[in-house]
Amino acid sequence: MGFIVSFALFFLAIVVNQSTVVGQTTAEGVIEFPKNDIIDVRNEILFSSGIVNPTNLTDVKNDISSIGLARKMAIISFNATPAPPGSSYKNVILIHYNNGVTAYNETANY
Amino acid sequence: MVNSDGQLFTIEGISAGLIMLLTAYIVVNTTSIYTPGDTHISDMQLEQLGSDALRLMNTPNTSATSAESSLQKIIINNDTAQFSNTFLWFCNSTTSGTNDNLQFTADLYYRDKNTNSVNKIHLTQTRNLIGGEHPVRVTEWVHLNSNGQVPVNNREQAVLVEVLLWRD
Repeated sequence: MGFIVSFALFFLAIVVNQSTVVGQTTAEGVIEFPKNDIIDVRNEILFSSGIVNPTNLTDVKNDISSIGLARKMAIISFNATPAPPGSSYKNVILIHYNNGVTAYNETANY
Repeated sequence: MVNSDGQLFTIEGISAGLIMLLTAYIVVNTTSIYTPGDTHISDMQLEQLGSDALRLMNTPNTSATSAESSLQKIIINNDTAQFSNTFLWFCNSTTSGTNDNLQFTADLYYRDKNTNSVNKIHLTQTRNLIGGEHPVRVTEWVHLNSNGQVPVNNREQAVLVEVLLWRD
């Protein structure tokens, strides 16, 4: 009977020992997924799609691509085309984001 | 003839084997010590805090289309003291007790249209990095209109504010 109880204690000791590892993969998974990057750059892209001046739009597109590649280690590109007539939104925007581990593609009606 | 004389020997042998395995496991396990910092939970929390603070600073407080966020105004007016005050107030506030003591250093990255290179302007910092810190990096895209004292080229552009945030 005591022998069986010792098995139970042994099992509990292993559970306590391995519990410190549990948080690591969760936290590292959260850090690795670029949630804030994507939300942030998507806001910027959707706002920029409303730029009327084509020179400025090209400038901002190149800004986002260059700075995204240099500082965020990600390929970020977008393309805005006018929406079909009669739509309730102005543009159809194609967003592409890829940081080597996570890829995000969106077609936004904005 | 079957009797139960050898059972105690068997049990003793099994428990001796288990104790030896347990000892070997404990000895090998102590070669690498696993600290709470290794789980990166605190890094993840710090990153989320800094990200939220920057996002809050980059949100206009009216819904007019021409409304500027405080971060846009800070960059256009080069008001680095305001950046420091606001960012630290967001990051260091606590619900009770003394405030936290986080340190940061902030840079602004922009693209030079003439040379097509990405350059850096240092905004502000609580103190310089000396090498022993473990900072996390949080960034925020800011849209600058062409009216105002923008960093370079005096055009409409998207710039990146990059903040390294650490706990002393």
